[in-house]
Amino acid sequence: MLSDPYTDKSTRDSTSIQIDGQALKDLVEASLVWLRTNQQLVNSLNVFPVPDGDTGTNMVLTMQAAFAEIENSSERNFGRMVHSLAHGALMGARGNSGVILSQLWRGFARALDNVEYLDGRGFVQALASARDTAYKGVVRPVEGTILTVAKDAAAAGEHALAETSDLVELLDRVVQAADVSVQHTPQLLPVLKEAGVVDSGGKGFYFILEGMLRHIRGQTLDVPQAIVQSLSTMNLENVMEAIEPGQDYEVVIDFRPYEPLDLGSFYTTLEEMGTSIQVGEGDGMYRMHIHVPTEKRYEPIDYTMTLGTITKVAMENLVAQMEERETPCGGNGQIVPAVIQPGQIAVVAVSPGNGISRVFSSLGAAAIVEGGQTMNPSTQEIIGAFENLPTDQVIILPNNKNIILAAKTAAELTVKKVAVIPSRSVPQGLAAMLRLIPDGDLDSVVEDMIAALDEVQTCEITIATRDVEIDGVEVQEGQVIGLYNGKLVLSETSLENACLGILQHAGADEYELITLFYGSNLPRQDALRIADLVREAYPGLEIEIQEGCQPHYYFIISIE
Amino acid sequence: MIAIVTDSTSDIPDQLAEKFQISIVPNVIVIDDQSVLDGKDISREEYYNRLPTMKVSPTTATSSSGMYQELYEQLFEKGAETILSIHAPRLLSGIFGAASAAAQTFGDRVRVIDSGQVTLGLGYQVLAAAQSALQGASLDTILSLLESVRQRARVIAMLDTLEYVQRSGRVSWARARIGTLLHLKPFVEVRDGQVLSLGETRTRRRGIEHLRELLYRLGPLERLAILHTNAEDDARAFLSSLKMDVPSDPLVVNITTVIGTHTGPNGLGFATVIRA
Repeated sequence: MLSDPYTDKSTRDSTSIQIDGQALKDLVEASLVWLRTNQQLVNSLNVFPVPDGDTGTNMVLTMQAAFAEIENSSERNFGRMVHSLAHGALMGARGNSGVILSQLWRGFARALDNVEYLDGRGFVQALASARDTAYKGVVRPVEGTILTVAKDAAAAGEHALAETSDLVELLDRVVQAADVSVQHTPQLLPVLKEAGVVDSGGKGFYFILEGMLRHIRGQTLDVPQAIVQSLSTMNLENVMEAIEPGQDYEVVIDFRPYEPLDLGSFYTTLEEMGTSIQVGEGDGMYRMHIHVPTEKRYEPIDYTMTLGTITKVAMENLVAQMEERETPCGGNGQIVPAVIQPGQIAVVAVSPGNGISRVFSSLGAAAIVEGGQTMNPSTQEIIGAFENLPTDQVIILPNNKNIILAAKTAAELTVKKVAVIPSRSVPQGLAAMLRLIPDGDLDSVVEDMIAALDEVQTCEITIATRDVEIDGVEVQEGQVIGLYNGKLVLSETSLENACLGILQHAGADEYELITLFYGSNLPRQDALRIADLVREAYPGLEIEIQEGCQPHYYFIISIE
Repeated sequence: MIAIVTDSTSDIPDQLAEKFQISIVPNVIVIDDQSVLDGKDISREEYYNRLPTMKVSPTTATSSSGMYQELYEQLFEKGAETILSIHAPRLLSGIFGAASAAAQTFGDRVRVIDSGQVTLGLGYQVLAAAQSALQGASLDTILSLLESVRQRARVIAMLDTLEYVQRSGRVSWARARIGTLLHLKPFVEVRDGQVLSLGETRTRRRGIEHLRELLYRLGPLERLAILHTNAEDDARAFLSSLKMDVPSDPLVVNITTVIGTHTGPNGLGFATVIRA
């Protein structure tokens, strides 16, 4: 549990508050706890209604790695401690938001080299340095993201310094500015506005700052903010991913309260029953989501009945579902990566499923990193994949837009010569993979691989995780949606229509070959049946069906 | 006088062989236990048409040492002082071995040379040597010319399928591709007697574009032959699509069945000699 470093000093509200290395540890733990408490809320701020790299989870895992680096350290020097912290963040960075967060920590630490204590002025300087480092770390900075929030937070600190040098006061101003900045993100980034959400990375960064402030003020950190999401942004699919031991049942209740809901006591009561609580509201209707132990599975229903009229109850056994999902796809055949000779070029491919891993291996990949849409590997995991290969020349295929940045960070953190091919999908990664010449010249192989990325079109078929309207496509939760080169283009009630529709949208008849990688959520006979439908629709094309075993996505389709 | 001998894997057209007085020893294909001579007993068109439906995979064989010995004797009788016998790489075939065994009887009057190449990668070395020999060049001059052409010769092809090269058992990287994507068209390069992988493509259209790119990268060319296995239309289209200085008299060749057995039909590629 957190200790309060300030209670033993009589100077809690004074400008003489000094933060040393040990106090930093407590602040960071507070950030981590508060971020974790609000993880699902951050995850739910998803622009596309697809199972995606979850920002909240990625940021929590990044902060967790950062904290783990200093958790057992007895260092008192603030500068040295924050450097360790930044290193931990860098190695543990997952997803784009995690990488940018690690850059923020890196910049923060850089301004405080060997500083013994953190004071108000140092804090503001470090925030500015964090901002600068993070902006430089991104090739094309986009406003309306975590970057903007970091920028506004730093500016607020600089501004406030004219009035006060009190660290707590400055932190308070910074937190307020970050909050305002987060609320403003939809004005800067149209996709956020369209999806009706604020930026998730920015929100996560806000929670990190706010966690420190709450800790200093002695506020609780383990109860989520009593926030009511709009019903359409509740992202229940993702909540299911995180099952805590003992919380075997998921209960979702729709109800209309008799009287205006007292959210505070509602949350408090639910907290006693279970975890992963989410509450959504729309037109006076509420939806409540909770994970509870088996013996408490009816309690949320009984309790909610005292508050209003229940219109719908859904209960699912999460453990049984997980077991079902864990049935191996693609049999138990071993995936054998290619053997690399010293001096050859080794390819590390990020793969979301066994079948896809097998294909990459057979094409000569020397190592596979598991990861994809909802599971972004950390920088450390990527480094671990190539560190022990007997060669100094490495190419990384991230195969997902949310993994490219972590791969690039991994490339910077090694003495090996590592190139990252910015493949945004599995088909792009495969197209690049085909250009591998293990004995070739690294630079020219890289050039060839990058050129190959545009030689394929990628379609993805998945299930909408919530209601939304994006780019004129109206989507209802549970519908089958199709993405073409990462862009949502259709929503259908059947898998068949979605597959045929997306191929038509992609202008597939202009091409030669369609390869369908079916996911672990689709039985083989269904996949074969759909492949036959595609064959009928495109008699002039070659149609190939492959077991991909990726989660969530019924199909990943390559058109070339 | 220096006489030049090669084998049918050199793919030198008959009229050029005649013009430059090159002796070509045919290789052998065994189809259903029947030996046929490469390019003589069965036309290449017919062979590649039948190849996909043959129940038993045909095998390739070299002509006997005896046949080489007879040829060498004939050439000496006709007045040759030295014979240069230039062949497909020993790493890929027994031809070099058969010729070497035959040459032993003649001491250093017969020089057997491993060209490291196949089809016109070999053929262009032989043509350069023969041309030079006809002009009365010394053995040393011809040998250094051969080395120079050998260094500059490139043979690259896109196979329509991995199937035949996997079946040939000669190429380890091709075996590793078993059980993967079905539609894979490998790019192969022959260099120093080895068959190297230059990656793959999944569609013919992209593959042909990439093949063109690979040729452009080789820079100014001295010689060029477009190679194919029953894909003459594609080969001619490829040649006319080239936006580069094409050497005069480029050849379009339906390649020797001895090589084509291991590549399969519908392959497309080129043999070239880079300008010095």
